[in-house]
Amino acid sequence: MSLGYHPLVKQLLDGELSLADLPLELRAEGAEALRLIGAVDRTSVVLSPALDDRVMAVVRRHAGSPARRAWHWLAAPRDVELRLRLRPVVWAGALAIAAGVALLLLARTPVATPVPASVARGGARDSVFVRFVLYAPGARHVAVAGTFNQWDLNAAPLARAGSSGVWSTTLALPVGQHQYAFVVDGERWVADPAAPAIDDGFGRRNSMVAVTARGAHTL
Amino acid sequence: MGLAGEATDGEVVRAVLGGEVERYAVLVHRYRDRYARYAARMLGSRDAGEDAVQDALVRAFDRLADCREPAKFAGWLFLILRNRCFAERRRRQREGRPLDERDDGVAGADRPDGTLEQTERMRALERSLAHLTPEQRDVFVLKHVEGLAYEEIAARTGATVASLKMRMHRAYDRLRDLMKEHL
Repeated sequence: MSLGYHPLVKQLLDGELSLADLPLELRAEGAEALRLIGAVDRTSVVLSPALDDRVMAVVRRHAGSPARRAWHWLAAPRDVELRLRLRPVVWAGALAIAAGVALLLLARTPVATPVPASVARGGARDSVFVRFVLYAPGARHVAVAGTFNQWDLNAAPLARAGSSGVWSTTLALPVGQHQYAFVVDGERWVADPAAPAIDDGFGRRNSMVAVTARGAHTL
Repeated sequence: MGLAGEATDGEVVRAVLGGEVERYAVLVHRYRDRYARYAARMLGSRDAGEDAVQDALVRAFDRLADCREPAKFAGWLFLILRNRCFAERRRRQREGRPLDERDDGVAGADRPDGTLEQTERMRALERSLAHLTPEQRDVFVLKHVEGLAYEEIAARTGATVASLKMRMHRAYDRLRDLMKEHL
């Protein structure tokens, strides 16, 4: 049977009390606990001098990759506005063309960098279309959950664009501020790296998007 | 603006993002050893720690455009390294191999500054740390190896002080049980 330390001894280990602060009957336990902490190895660790060169060799390879340049181009357009003065059918056509351009690029240069994401924006008279994009090449399933769908993991799945690793969906969101996160394979919550995030109070980070009648933007 | 080695993290990050890839070497040199001890203690050996630091530095480069506050590159890099260490620990636990088998911990066998008993206790503690959860080991290493206060750990990891203390206190109890023959 395991026997834990007395709460006062734990305070001793935390540095909040000294051994002399403990009642006499706890001093032996306190001394034992200090022997445990005294066994901590604080010696510094020296890494191989070759590490710098190894890292930079990989970095140069990655920097020169057309995939990286293509992804940066694709991930950058956070300010792409799809103005919703257009009729929905025209808007859908515009979106298809934009997506087609992006996918053509991706099809020619498969991306190898992990998990960037972005939100492309559009507006409508009574709702605003927000496009969610996540790059997750190893994922089997991706969804976006947020305050707009009561954090339902199944309400808004993203569609994979071929074998490019890019997943996307477009949702009509009501005006207001919304928190959201991507859910990869039904269990891994991923904040949008392209949008600021806030702590949800439970150890997770949620992204923020503000929707107005004139469009949407990340917060 | 001084020499490249004197540039701030923010300046270097912006330069790299602007296409000066070689400037990333400044950040590699600056941070390669800073978190080495943390990584080695999290994973149980210097070699595993080195692999983790190398991987974290490469991942940080790949995702540099996502570093929203370039001046806080160090903290951002630490979180990447921490996630890498957690993932590695979980992978090893799944494989039933909590300790790096290439190296029985990082505590030296012939330390000149300790008795045989003390050295054995250090090695026993290192073995015991391998049986903590990644979260427990994380807070133990940050507090008792790196010497950070709970508030500093909270700022670095995003966890609350209360949750950190809870993890730590459970770790104390677990370690007492695991170390009872050496105390």
